[in-house]
Amino acid sequence: MTVAATAAGLAEFRTAVHDWCRAHVPSGWRQAQTGASDEEYVSFQRAWLAELRAAGFAVPHWPAEWGGGMSVAEQVVLYSELAAADAPRLILAFVSIHHAASTLLAAGTPEQCQRHLPAILDGEIWVQGFSEPEAGSDLASLRTSARREGDAYIVNGQKLWASGAQHADWCLLLARTDPAAPKRRGISYFLLDMRTPGVDVRPIRQATGESHFGEIFLTDVVIPASQLIGPENAGWQVAQATLGAERGMTMLELAERLGNAGFRRLVAVCSRRGEDGARPIDDGLVQDKLAGFETDIAGLRLLCRTLVEDHEAGRSGPADASIVKLYYSELLQRLTDFGMQIGGLRVQTELCKPASAGWESGAWALDFIGSWEWTIPGGTSEIQRTIIGERGLELPREPAAG
Amino acid sequence: MSEQTEIRDELRAVARDLLGRSDRAGRAAAPGGSDVDWRVLAGADWLGLEVAAELGGADATFAEAAVIMEELGRAVARSPYLGAVVLSVGTLNELQPSALRDRLLSEIVAGAVIPAAVLGSGDGLASAGQPPFRLERTAAGAVLHGQASFVPDAASAGSLLLLAAGQDGNPVIVRTDPRVPGLKVTKQPVLDATRSLGLVSAAGAEVSPDCVWQFAGDARAASRRLLDRAAVAVACDSLGLSEAMLAATVGYARVRQQFGRPIGSFQAVKHACADMLVQIRIARELVTEAVRQVADRAGADAEVAVAASMAKSSACDAAVNIAGKAMQLHGGIGYTWESGIHVYLKRAILNRELFGSPAAHRRRLAARYA
Repeated sequence: MTVAATAAGLAEFRTAVHDWCRAHVPSGWRQAQTGASDEEYVSFQRAWLAELRAAGFAVPHWPAEWGGGMSVAEQVVLYSELAAADAPRLILAFVSIHHAASTLLAAGTPEQCQRHLPAILDGEIWVQGFSEPEAGSDLASLRTSARREGDAYIVNGQKLWASGAQHADWCLLLARTDPAAPKRRGISYFLLDMRTPGVDVRPIRQATGESHFGEIFLTDVVIPASQLIGPENAGWQVAQATLGAERGMTMLELAERLGNAGFRRLVAVCSRRGEDGARPIDDGLVQDKLAGFETDIAGLRLLCRTLVEDHEAGRSGPADASIVKLYYSELLQRLTDFGMQIGGLRVQTELCKPASAGWESGAWALDFIGSWEWTIPGGTSEIQRTIIGERGLELPREPAAG
Repeated sequence: MSEQTEIRDELRAVARDLLGRSDRAGRAAAPGGSDVDWRVLAGADWLGLEVAAELGGADATFAEAAVIMEELGRAVARSPYLGAVVLSVGTLNELQPSALRDRLLSEIVAGAVIPAAVLGSGDGLASAGQPPFRLERTAAGAVLHGQASFVPDAASAGSLLLLAAGQDGNPVIVRTDPRVPGLKVTKQPVLDATRSLGLVSAAGAEVSPDCVWQFAGDARAASRRLLDRAAVAVACDSLGLSEAMLAATVGYARVRQQFGRPIGSFQAVKHACADMLVQIRIARELVTEAVRQVADRAGADAEVAVAASMAKSSACDAAVNIAGKAMQLHGGIGYTWESGIHVYLKRAILNRELFGSPAAHRRRLAARYA
């Protein structure tokens, strides 16, 4: 699905996506997904992925030969129209279409790509097995071990904060293959089939009351050596190279979501009359905050486009991924906090939010609590600031840091 | 597109080098910002960036003038470039072509005349589209009344371009000599010693008919566009000075030792620098977009106004935060006159108010929500 990157071509594409959304975004999905059971959520996510795939909209950021190939300008149009139509988001497939795919495309063998990329489009679900109880911000100190035996590895350990673990078919697994090496030089990267004997998943209930995350216990799990991705003991480097690079891509969608559905929802809540008959939006202070958010979101959206373009042109900066992640997550937190305050106690009576929605679903109090799901995982805001300082500004490292 | 980017990158490199040199020389003499010799700017062909080639100009766009604005901010240069070039040439380009207008443009390009555009009081958005002056008919001919305060570069201008309500109420530009009877230009000293602001007042100043110039299109729209251009130009200046402050702070934090290690290795300092960079990256995106919109002149005026308000409020807020943080992270030395950081901070606080405060710009954005 490519269109000429002319203004006319883009306008035509926008109309096409707009029309497609009108015909395909299921009406009433928000209500149906509010309080939905796990099974309802999973089947809805799978069906939505199939819908998007049929239209060529599921993986616009992938290379053309695998079913993507959209220009940045087209992706922006696609994501902004999906958000404007308040379409559901691909949440269950998020790690599959972004993290798993970018890792496979960057470091996978042709066989691995062939095995998994089409399967991801068919709905294969992936989870990231990175964090451990003793390896959070200091991820490189992870202790899950993978011992080579013949043409397989025997894996033992425990993974934590694995988003979507209970639904996953496959896992992007980091494990230590050389305990004697310096900590960043002894890690390998594996593709783990979650149906392998010895894999045990337990959900973790999070602050919002939901259980998106899981613990993964690995007991004598056998992974064939053919499922190593990248060279042995270079797993840390593979993960570093692939995970930062795709940040801009994931952010492009999230920023358009924030800029369309999110901001519109915020203006809507500010325009509602309170019990005293007054509208918050008539208050100058509220107007000032709204305009500030609109400006910050505009800056974020422009930055995302720049980062994706820079990435495609091979001129990414070493701190770009951290800058956009930090800014988005803290903006989301500020914005949901504001929406919650405008909504008053009433929004605190919303005890569950629609599944399959964006991070600014409109259940502002839960959205606010859920915003820590952005400022903590994937490198906390503190870690991002350290990365920006050290890699982006070349400030000296902390003496104690290894 | 990429060719234009290359041209601008080259212009930026030349400007940084040239202004950096004069900055070093200037700062040694006076830590109150550096003077830039007007002949240097004329020699570099920066005065005619937006002037047509047949008048001696470079036939470039606002995007190139914006590069110079950013570099002047980076160098905290003392220069009437904003009033004399960005605003005056911008104003003249909105007018109906005439021999007198074209001659003035050629004189500006050559550096022979250093004018100032008086579009309104320098601290307000409120006056947008409302001319600060008015022409009145008397028996002796047209005379000028009105007043505008905090006008950039008015006090030293050799010629003034006043936005005035014509006798039919429509805005026109009146070109006048600042020394004519009935016109008074008073310097308004401000904390920022790198800028020159003036109060321009007219009480019956005589105006010759051939100095009343008509806008080429919708005069009110044009005068609003000029104020958006002014706001974006100031945002560029603030962006440049923000980057200079971050660079100075990072440089200092790498070498300044306390507790036996560079202060930049402490998270409290490192994270503060990271926040400065993030703010700059966001501001740069918004400024780049606003510059593109002003330069392209393709989008609707309302879209340009939105981009201008976002860029102005974001970049100018950020610059005050960043210069303030720079002073803080430099510690005691940062608070000294000698360090020169106060020069950036004072310019940042001035820029924040010029051509609409962040709050005024956000108010304009919010007017669209109702």
